[in-house]
Amino acid sequence: MRHTAAKLFATLAIATSLATVAAGSALADPSVTPNAADVVGVGSDTTQAVLGQLSTDYNAFLTGKGDTTSPRLYSWDATGSSPITTKTGATSITRPNGSGAGISALNANTSATVNFARSSRAPQTGDLTTDDFVAFAKDGVSWAANSAGNAPANLTTADLAAIYTCSKTNWNQITDISGYTGPNATIKAYLPQINSGTRSFFLKAVGGGTAITPGACVQSYTPEENEGTDSVFTDSNALVPYSAAHYIGQVYGGHTTSTDAPGPLTVRNTDGVAPVTGTHTLNSSYTATAYGRVVYNVVRDGEWTGTGANPALKAIFGTTGWICTNATAKADIQSYGFQTLAVGACGSVTHL
Amino acid sequence: MSRTSVRLTVAAVAVAALSATAMSDSALAATTTTAPTGSLVIQEDSTFLKQAAANGIIAVALPNATAGYDAATGLSASFPVTGGSANLSGYYGNIQLGGGLLLVNLHTGKAAVFNNLAFSADNWAVTGVPLGESAPVSLLDPVGNTTVTKNAGVQLLTADDLEIDAAGAQYADTKLGTAFFTAGQHTGTATLTFTAGS
Repeated sequence: MRHTAAKLFATLAIATSLATVAAGSALADPSVTPNAADVVGVGSDTTQAVLGQLSTDYNAFLTGKGDTTSPRLYSWDATGSSPITTKTGATSITRPNGSGAGISALNANTSATVNFARSSRAPQTGDLTTDDFVAFAKDGVSWAANSAGNAPANLTTADLAAIYTCSKTNWNQITDISGYTGPNATIKAYLPQINSGTRSFFLKAVGGGTAITPGACVQSYTPEENEGTDSVFTDSNALVPYSAAHYIGQVYGGHTTSTDAPGPLTVRNTDGVAPVTGTHTLNSSYTATAYGRVVYNVVRDGEWTGTGANPALKAIFGTTGWICTNATAKADIQSYGFQTLAVGACGSVTHL
Repeated sequence: MSRTSVRLTVAAVAVAALSATAMSDSALAATTTTAPTGSLVIQEDSTFLKQAAANGIIAVALPNATAGYDAATGLSASFPVTGGSANLSGYYGNIQLGGGLLLVNLHTGKAAVFNNLAFSADNWAVTGVPLGESAPVSLLDPVGNTTVTKNAGVQLLTADDLEIDAAGAQYADTKLGTAFFTAGQHTGTATLTFTAGS
């Protein structure tokens, strides 16, 4: 009986492991030079790991069904050596680091170099009206601090706005959190680098829809987003915006690298709402607040619709495309901490 | 069932639908200062209409929805926004719609009425509550080339493919005693405009 039960559990375990996205190192740059016709993306740090996984699995999907001719999907990380030549025949470009830089690269080049930009922010003033933001998942932006530090478990939007505009610079000025008495210690508020979609989204959310301007007290050093391994975060007074989905992918999905890991940071609550559920998923109650956001892949409208459209883009990103309909793709999105979007919402387009 | 009894049944459910809708609308109006505005316009696909008619199926938009006809584009139905809140580009929230939807199978004399129509941004589907029931059923899904924008507070969703949801197809087929409806069936296009209340 025991042997039978053990075999049964072993079988179930194997089945479960096969059905689960492999944990371990987050995927990096393409391992081969993509062909000229392949679909190649750059940009957001927040979604680089999940796009790397989706690329691997999409290409395996095509190969698995004997398709040797359809364009493959590749995604270049936000950080690493620079410049990069994204595919055969491409112009060498400075590696785009972040959503804004990715969108700029999309706009400054042709499909011979960049086909899409990963973006963790929605369209904003300054983007081209011809940039189509194709939705593929939901995230929630929270804030993180050293697990052994002085920050409370929760901060209100008013607190965060005050901290990042410097009207509150000491933990003992945080007086609206029940059960928390802040020590007399100077807060060290960090923001990701200027092209970060997480940065721009966070500043807008904290400002109630209008981006706040960071005050002079905010640290001038801008760490790479979602990387708690930066040495500045050993400081017990540091805090920084953090993608809750990326955090879940790191901590519970096991998708980390030597630098792409939470280090001593833990994500905290905002306005009393936890971004992560007890079962280690993104909290729907959190993503339904101003801190919930949609993540996108941005394409040129002329290549998405009309006579000049590249059918490979919709085959991958469209409402009936692989990312929005394939079970493996959905498992990838969830394993990396994001929420999947409903049929029709995934693959829908927004733009200025 | 005779044609007369069919007409009586249709009239009865239509009146009931109107009553339910009126109650719903007045209740909502009492809870908002400035009511949200907008509409869901469904442009019906002529091929779908022909196929439906050939199978004895007719679909009627019930007041206070309005039906329209254009020689170039064919039949349409407009359902006014009556309440709710949603962030379409954030994919959450619920928009309540006025009017109802009546489906009749002329071959069997059976009918289905859906009230409390809404657009669920979370589920990305037009939903309706069957007459006499309480739980909404997903009826139609905006898919295909779908665009969501927001300008000056007006949220706009357009979809060039409005498909029948699997749950809606199953419910309608069962209720009408037909096998006409299938998941993913193209019914037309959809345009939803929504301006939040305050």
